[in-house]
Amino acid sequence: MEKGGGSDGTPISIEELDKLRQVAEKARRNVIKMLFYDQTIHVGSSLSSIEILTTLIFKHIRTDSSLVNKDWLILSKGHAAPALYAVLAEKGYIKEEELWRIQDITGLLQGHPETSIPGVDMSTGSLGQGLSFGIGVATGIKMANGSGRVYVVMGDGEQDEGEIWEAMTHAVVRNLDNLIAFIEMNNFQLDGSTEEIKPKNFLPKVWEAVGWKVLNCDGHDFISITNAINEAHKAGKPVVIFAKTVRGKGFPAIENTHKQRSSPDDARKYLLNA
Amino acid sequence: MMQGNIYSMRETFGRLLADLGDKNKDLIVITADVGDSTRALYFREKFKDRYFNIGISEQDMVNFAAGLAAVGKKPAIVNFGMFLMRAWEQIRNSIARMNLDVKMFVTHTGYSDHGDGSSHQVLEDIALMRVLPNMKVIVPADPKDIERSLPVIINEERGPLYYRIGREYSPPITVGQEYEFKIGKAYVIKDGSDLAIMGAGVVLWDALKAAEELEKLGISVAVINLFSIKPIDESTIEYYARKTGKIITIEEHSIYGGIGSAVAEVTARRYPVPIRFVGATTFGRSARSQRDLLDYYNINYKTIIRETIDLLK
Repeated sequence: MEKGGGSDGTPISIEELDKLRQVAEKARRNVIKMLFYDQTIHVGSSLSSIEILTTLIFKHIRTDSSLVNKDWLILSKGHAAPALYAVLAEKGYIKEEELWRIQDITGLLQGHPETSIPGVDMSTGSLGQGLSFGIGVATGIKMANGSGRVYVVMGDGEQDEGEIWEAMTHAVVRNLDNLIAFIEMNNFQLDGSTEEIKPKNFLPKVWEAVGWKVLNCDGHDFISITNAINEAHKAGKPVVIFAKTVRGKGFPAIENTHKQRSSPDDARKYLLNA
Repeated sequence: MMQGNIYSMRETFGRLLADLGDKNKDLIVITADVGDSTRALYFREKFKDRYFNIGISEQDMVNFAAGLAAVGKKPAIVNFGMFLMRAWEQIRNSIARMNLDVKMFVTHTGYSDHGDGSSHQVLEDIALMRVLPNMKVIVPADPKDIERSLPVIINEERGPLYYRIGREYSPPITVGQEYEFKIGKAYVIKDGSDLAIMGAGVVLWDALKAAEELEKLGISVAVINLFSIKPIDESTIEYYARKTGKIITIEEHSIYGGIGSAVAEVTARRYPVPIRFVGATTFGRSARSQRDLLDYYNINYKTIIRETIDLLK
């Protein structure tokens, strides 16, 4: 198992960039390839998250045997589990063959993340729960004078949940400078566009007004993501990074639509051409 | 713990929890803006750094506790039972599913918040908690039962646990009884051979009162304190089903899915006997006292006596 990144504050090198690109490309292919084995996985949301998860897991997350000195990764938008599994497989936590058994009754990989899976820090799948849990972890780390940081990855649709509001104010009161939240703005939720279901455009203003440091990044650009994370580490308070992403990124069959699923035929077409 | 002549469930609980913080350095108390009413504030008086008022945000409170447990702390949620149910899905999907060491202590259950009325009177929580995998459910009968069980639960028990108490009303039920609390164990607080009354919480006072009256009529009644609702003491339930052939259950909770249902599940499998269920069948209402509500809804010794005579016909 490769050691975590942890190159705090250092700009990204060409070699690193190449590595991240390779990992993300492989993970993207593997997520799409999973469609051959199970057509019910959430491909659209997963492809939206690939670069963020790759950057976190390969560059920023520090591993440690102590619960309070390691960094935590909470995939609050749990339906992007295939992306997490594909990146964890590249990291060596999960065997690649296991990816093809996703959601199989005898397989390791559940439809949503479970802590029984290596590399998964929180069992998720019900939206809105990850940020509160992250506040608990971050608070516990501080009480123990640990050095761990907590990264929580959420979706824009997920922001409809009331628990997020509860947690947003809580994190500020707790003064958690070791908590970094991502909100992926891909403009779609399950039934359609966020704009028509519940507007999200005001969110950065709300988070800022509540007292968070608000940053922005391009959620498919490693340099942009890393710059945001490096800046977040210096903020001295809880940080939320609004990451512009594209649902179904890189997979023409569903790119930039609310569709989560696609057919093995489309997957075959992509894998032969890409 | 005495307060003049009045025993209080929440007073006993609050004082004892604060005492237990001395030895348990990882113990953290968390509440959703009801620290005063639940008496969680006694913990804050001693351990300000280990006390968190999350504000009126029960869902956040539950996942915050789950996160603390994930890094090795011992979080104890202290809240009104009813409003913790608002976060049932969080309890299910985070605490129970990850099998985290979070203890939930709830006060104001049943009719104990008599004045506030049906919105505050939780009569469904045992049913909701009992169905969750990994979850243990404990219901003490009186302050003495709290003194027996709380140290064991804080010092020794690991994993998700739901602990249900009322507010003030707490007639002495187990005072003078010699037993030690053990998870999964029921206690015979009065032996008998014609009928067994099984239940938990303050309504066991009515069970004992009914038993006393029935003895005068020559009917020998056992009273079983089902302190631990989950895991439940199947052997004791089966033993008394065989011995008496008739069971009445009593609970300050809905008869649908609660303690009576748990007893019926056991007897149906191990030794079926006729059972009568005494408990709530509808929402509550406001009243000047908890006792008035128990009587109003026929959750009392009179109903037990009536059902017994009917069962013995």
